[in-house]
Amino acid sequence: MNKTLEVEESNSVSRREFFKKTASVSAVAATSILAPSAVLADDENIIHHVEWGTTLGDECNKDPYGYPSKYEHNVVRRTSALMSSAGDMHAAISMTPLAELSGIIVPNGLHFTRTHNGVAHIDPNKYRLMIHGLVEKPIVLTLEELKKYPSESRILVLECPSNSAAEWKGPQFGTLQFVKGMMSCSEWTGVRLKTILDELGLKPEAKWMLAEGSDGSEMSRTVPIEKVLDDAMIVWGQNGEALRNEQGYPVRLMLPGWEANLCVKWLKRLEFGDKPWYAKEETSKYTALTASGKAIQHFYANEVNSVITSPCPEKDWKDLEKGDLVEIEGLAWSGHGTIKGVDISFDGGKNWIEANLKGLVLPKAWTRFSYMYRYEGKPLLLQSRSYDDSNNVQPTVNQEKAVVGVEGVYHRNAIITWQVTDMGEVSNVQIRS
Amino acid sequence: MFKLDRKLVTIGVVLALGSTLALATVSAVAPGIYKSKSGAIDGGVTYPRENGNYTVYKYNQQSTKGVSFGRAPTANEIKAWDVDARPDGVGLPEGEGSVELGDELYEEQCAVCHGEFGGGGSGYPQLAGGNMAKDENGAMITLKNQRVYGNTDAPKRTVGTLWPVATTLFTYIRDAMPYAHPKSLTNSETYAITAYILAQNEIEIDGEEMDDEYVLNKEKLMKVVLPNRNGFYPNIDGPTAQEDIRAFYADRAKNIGAGVRCMTNCKDPGGQDGKTPPAVMKIKYEMKDVVPAYAYAKDLPPKKKGGLEHPGKEAYEKSCAVCHKTDMMGAPAVGDKHAWEATLKQGIDKVYENTINGKNGMPPKGGTSLSDDKIKEIVDYMVQASK
Repeated sequence: MNKTLEVEESNSVSRREFFKKTASVSAVAATSILAPSAVLADDENIIHHVEWGTTLGDECNKDPYGYPSKYEHNVVRRTSALMSSAGDMHAAISMTPLAELSGIIVPNGLHFTRTHNGVAHIDPNKYRLMIHGLVEKPIVLTLEELKKYPSESRILVLECPSNSAAEWKGPQFGTLQFVKGMMSCSEWTGVRLKTILDELGLKPEAKWMLAEGSDGSEMSRTVPIEKVLDDAMIVWGQNGEALRNEQGYPVRLMLPGWEANLCVKWLKRLEFGDKPWYAKEETSKYTALTASGKAIQHFYANEVNSVITSPCPEKDWKDLEKGDLVEIEGLAWSGHGTIKGVDISFDGGKNWIEANLKGLVLPKAWTRFSYMYRYEGKPLLLQSRSYDDSNNVQPTVNQEKAVVGVEGVYHRNAIITWQVTDMGEVSNVQIRS
Repeated sequence: MFKLDRKLVTIGVVLALGSTLALATVSAVAPGIYKSKSGAIDGGVTYPRENGNYTVYKYNQQSTKGVSFGRAPTANEIKAWDVDARPDGVGLPEGEGSVELGDELYEEQCAVCHGEFGGGGSGYPQLAGGNMAKDENGAMITLKNQRVYGNTDAPKRTVGTLWPVATTLFTYIRDAMPYAHPKSLTNSETYAITAYILAQNEIEIDGEEMDDEYVLNKEKLMKVVLPNRNGFYPNIDGPTAQEDIRAFYADRAKNIGAGVRCMTNCKDPGGQDGKTPPAVMKIKYEMKDVVPAYAYAKDLPPKKKGGLEHPGKEAYEKSCAVCHKTDMMGAPAVGDKHAWEATLKQGIDKVYENTINGKNGMPPKGGTSLSDDKIKEIVDYMVQASK
């Protein structure tokens, strides 16, 4: 099928054998000044015309809404029966494949998903948003009316407070996707709630807001007014397009830095009141039981956190040679503010060095960190520890456990450890007593 | 901490220099560390919106006063949607239901997931049956269970042991249950099921036990005080609620756990005995049953089973459609029934032959190096798609 260039073909069989034998050393040989005359095997991907260069490609708009390359078909959200009730996948969570992502924006199709009664599909023509209670002028808006309000965009992390919930009592999952994949970061577009409320006139006795979804679970949460007036938004845009169904199409609440559960999807109603509502997902669930037997309620912000994404169990170092210079890369974020820095430890937390931040450093968003490392082929206990502009430093497993115990389910932000063997294999372990 | 401070100073100096060179009017701010105010209700910082800047974001400073869309809701619309209920009873509807009716409804619609008598099913929440004994601090003893250091007893989280208020039970059931048919129960049916679950948790209302004949309504539900009413913190009720929350999250080291930015020879708190040093804990039984199964190859996805796509279609689209998709190039267009009937009058073998050897403006095999058999397959597809 491939046309061949003008190359010697008479010894093609033996040449292929030779290629196999020398491929792994050819790169080294090519750059070695000690062996300038070494005979290199030719890479057939270079010597021959490639298939995609000798045929007509797809029509330019074959897929009016495009897809990733077919070769990326394994880059998908995954779930597990452990993330559901009795294996039922309507009230469940799917995890973002963090190891395969670059930058700080998650493609919409890979955004982690949490549903309590399945993914609702809302007809935008029938969508209504009601804002009422302790306001001078209650309103009902259609989607088109809502989208006429002046918009702002923010790049924000959304994290389920259950992220890493399976790890409280010890390491359980063997991949980054399942250790930390209940989060994503996107550019969200919508209107600041304050912009609407300035016009509706909030009554002075309004201290709390009830946000309610219209899906089968009628998800609702109580939000203190201070957050509403600071940076809360009603959003309809996700990375330039409409919200995905899984993210609450057509409209969800966005409380920057706070539990994704509070950012109510399929938003139907905002009511202002003088007392909290004690909704089901802030009492029977989403309260964090501590060792004292009492539980933390109204647990808002996701704490300062970080994880190394390369290497990780899915992106190991088995192909590295001793002496290779390689980038250690990861993600840091804080619901309390902006990441100020990240430290890296190679010995399980005894000694630390400063890593470098790279790319955009935004409040309540993923921040990339980077450290160039000379691989030596020796065993490591690799950790990252982030700190933010609200005086938060990420705790060790023991430091967090000492205060809240191991049964809290929510808001786990303890330091994550990747054990790297002398063979470059990477696995999820914990350093704890 | 010393190292942290030193780093900040360094950043400040470098940036001050950089900004003098590039943007003399912009004040020196360390990159990524924006002007902020501490003391937010969640323990974090807030960022000012001033002079068109909010951290790194710009915003339009023009007034939005007067932007107003939508309309006032009607009284009926508010009534239809404003059905939430608070612990003080505001919002609870009229209606009533007995424990006995609740038992019947529960058996029909709830027990399949939540188990007989609320005792828990496979994987769904247990609603009743926890031990409600408390310790000297008023904490529910079962909720103190911690599965560490060999202890395997989990805390039991039921309506009786964990939940703070009973109005939540009513709205939860009415709005979101039964799981597959939410909002299918009437208010009275919901009162009945609520009554049954409270009775299973041995809740007394105004000192009265809830026997089969007990009828629950709005007034009675408001009076329920669940055993774990005081099992939560920080305080969220009364006029000091929001300041209590702020104070709680201000002391994060004490209340939710915090790290220390130690750089060398760092020591971690010990374990149960306060001394046991930390060690490496590995995964005992890895949870591997994920869906879709773990796979990382950058390869082509498996062909879908049962796909009825003609074997010649893909090659046609790659190599032939450029001329044959329409008749603009003078070639018979695929899908044009009459054109292909005319072409086929000479017999299919002749069509194969012309395709392989070329005819008029068409080069042999359409300019491809495909095998004769593959070319015939493509012709078959084009014929089939033009019937």
